Amino acid sequence: MDKDFAARRRRDLIIAAVLAVIAALTPLFVKDVVVQNILILTLMYAGLSQSWNILSGYCGQISLGHALYFGLGAYTTELLFTKFGVLPWFGMLAGGVVSALIAMGLGYPFFRLRGHYFVIATIVIAEIGLLLFHNWEWAGAAMGITIPIRGDSWLKFQFLRTKLPYFYFALALCCLAWFVTWWLENSKWGFWWRAVKDNPEAAESLGVDVFNSKMGAAAVSAFLVAVGGSFYAQFVSYIDPESVMGFQFSLLMALPAVLGGIGTLWGPVLGAAILIPLTELTRFKFGGSGRGVDLIVYGTLIVLISLALPRGLLSLFSRPKKTGAAR
Amino acid sequence: MGLLYGLIAVGLALIFGLMDVTNFAHGEFLMIAMYLSFFLFAFFAIDPLLSAPLVAAALFIFGAVIYLLIVRFAMRAKANAGMVQIFTTFGLAIVMRGLAQFFFTPDYRSIPQSWLGGKTISVAGIFLPEPQLVGALVSILAFAGLYFFIHRTDFGRALEATREDPGAVALVGIDKNRVFAFGWGLGAALVGLAGAIMASFFYIYPDVGASFALIAYVTVALGGFGSVFGAFAGGIIVGLVEAVTALVLPPSLKSVGIYAVYLLVVFIRPRGLFGSI
Amino acid sequence: MTALLETRGVWQRFGGLVANSDVSISVGRGEIVGLIGPNGAGKSTLFNLIAGVLPPTQGSILFDGEDVTHMPAAERCQRGVGRTFQVVKSFETMTVIDNVIVGALVRNTVMREARRKAHEVLEFTGLAARADVLASDLVPAEKRRLEVARALATEPKLLLLDEVLTGLTPTEAQTGVALVRKVRDAGITVLMVEHVMEIVMPLVDRAIVLDLGKVLVEGKPADVVRDPKVISAYLGDRHAVGA
Repeated sequence: MDKDFAARRRRDLIIAAVLAVIAALTPLFVKDVVVQNILILTLMYAGLSQSWNILSGYCGQISLGHALYFGLGAYTTELLFTKFGVLPWFGMLAGGVVSALIAMGLGYPFFRLRGHYFVIATIVIAEIGLLLFHNWEWAGAAMGITIPIRGDSWLKFQFLRTKLPYFYFALALCCLAWFVTWWLENSKWGFWWRAVKDNPEAAESLGVDVFNSKMGAAAVSAFLVAVGGSFYAQFVSYIDPESVMGFQFSLLMALPAVLGGIGTLWGPVLGAAILIPLTELTRFKFGGSGRGVDLIVYGTLIVLISLALPRGLLSLFSRPKKTGAAR
Repeated sequence: MGLLYGLIAVGLALIFGLMDVTNFAHGEFLMIAMYLSFFLFAFFAIDPLLSAPLVAAALFIFGAVIYLLIVRFAMRAKANAGMVQIFTTFGLAIVMRGLAQFFFTPDYRSIPQSWLGGKTISVAGIFLPEPQLVGALVSILAFAGLYFFIHRTDFGRALEATREDPGAVALVGIDKNRVFAFGWGLGAALVGLAGAIMASFFYIYPDVGASFALIAYVTVALGGFGSVFGAFAGGIIVGLVEAVTALVLPPSLKSVGIYAVYLLVVFIRPRGLFGSI
Repeated sequence: MTALLETRGVWQRFGGLVANSDVSISVGRGEIVGLIGPNGAGKSTLFNLIAGVLPPTQGSILFDGEDVTHMPAAERCQRGVGRTFQVVKSFETMTVIDNVIVGALVRNTVMREARRKAHEVLEFTGLAARADVLASDLVPAEKRRLEVARALATEPKLLLLDEVLTGLTPTEAQTGVALVRKVRDAGITVLMVEHVMEIVMPLVDRAIVLDLGKVLVEGKPADVVRDPKVISAYLGDRHAVGA
């Protein structure tokens, strides 16, 4: 039985490594810039959704306000870069730390809330952040920040002529988020989180520190999402409050995980691999008309998938359960 | 304004609170009501105030149909029921927005000359805009009617009982789907009423619902889920807070006050002011 | 030797309702003690006070020589208090083994050891064959046993059992009784709340009868069942239930 378990863990790791290598090789064959763009976004959202999944999927604290951390990551990096000349790599780290600290600070009052009250509080806090940045003159207010162009350089993580470095960074981020999840899944934290999600009262009776479990999940989740945000800022090289802190980011982080299978290791990757290309393609194909066909197609798909597969796409592949074996 | 929020929120409270179903397409219901009101005016020159009952009736049917066609199935989900509802209704909202863009174009529209638009009325030396005043009046009436309906009629009790225990209700011969379809219709009708009134003084565009939906949620949560009275009280508080914030902060920050009050309230009372769930 | 668990003059009021008044009981090491009484006697309240769900209005609770009156449940678990829930609270989306690992993590920080401990406990409680089944797929009797297994994985000194035998078929109840004996033989003190006297009396070393929030009688099971006060309390209860 233990062998089964260890074998499954190893198998997951091998599959991930193979997928990562395949992904790393795709740019050799895919030269089209539009497709490369879609691949980058897919990898980024896979990573973001994986991070979101840590707090909302594993620990069960559904957040629809993760755009806050995404935006904080983006803003911290770019403010440090444009105002103080701090390199984006340090800014990225700083953004992650700032977001993790804010997530924990918010955790104190927020984690007392349950159900809808918690979800709405997360939406509201992200909206407050959005409005504050909208009105913060020093941070560019509604005008946002344009990242000054200094030419291609790894040091400044800026590339105009090629998208490949962004691609590899997005891949690295996705792999990191996956690996962190894989590692935490079989750790004390992973077990505590799932226990807290399923039944906090029982978890407490088994010595689980419920509050700190939530705090830990929030910090890890916020850190990774902020790194994603600061990557995105470098990638698009222009940020304003709506474009990095808008509600749509919170949803785009949640959707892949929900679609693929919330609280599972592979759900977010699978969900993102399907959802993001779909989003981008419908936008590419129908979006130009400005007549909302992309929205209709996209919305219909979401409705159909959520209705047909409440456990997510992953449930299609799950092995049949051994029920009734010893009854 | 607060009373209109109250009206939107009461509709939401009915769906969300009393039936314990999340509806992320609530703002889009509002949008549809406003368009309906606009077209009734544009083609038949019916003033929004007069068309309000028509719009409410249309939305009633719309809400009930949406329930029967889609939401009914979302509620059946055995796993992740909450997430399924959120994303089903969210997908629905996107579709509705897309359809609105497709048929009505993303242009901003407004009703140029209605009976109410732009007029003010002077009460004891204070000038009050007429549409808001009428809106307030309609809201109070609608709320009183609804309150009576929920607490004094068999249907209201059936609704509550159905949420509590659908199985037991089925035993006494109440069809859960009929009760809930009616509830959804009623919730949508209230939004229809609000939409019709708002159409006379607000721009109408496909995304208009989104800006009100979040505030409606906050309003319901502030009052406490499961309480129609709470939603109404929440609406009044939200309206007042918005007015006060507008005095001290720049207009673009007016919602911050509402959000801050929400957070403050739930930190002190995690179930809202009058909440039971 | 001092008692493992002691409550001193514990009161619990909910508004105007007095659920426990001046309850002082003690449980010695290695005992199986039954906490019984008619419906509404305050058993569950006292149980929750001992488990640390809420602090008493008045009085103090000592565990293993330490005042734990205001200690939260999670910390009491670390000190050696394990419990089950009357309404089972399994981690439904997790497998049986994963449920038990959560408990085992209290004393084993290395995952491999926690997993081994969890397997041991499943073997002990007879759930080994069901290790990889989701908790939501267990039958009710198995869920009860899972509750016990999870609590045992925390390696408690005192195991609190909340109506684990109630509602089981006679065969299932027999298996349950055997398991409780086995637990005691492993050196763990047991305090069990039961409503139905017939099941527990043959099992326990000592019985404490609560009625109307107070300790009515305590002593050897054979004496307790013959005590007129106990009989009338239960008869009164039966009348009330029958009415």
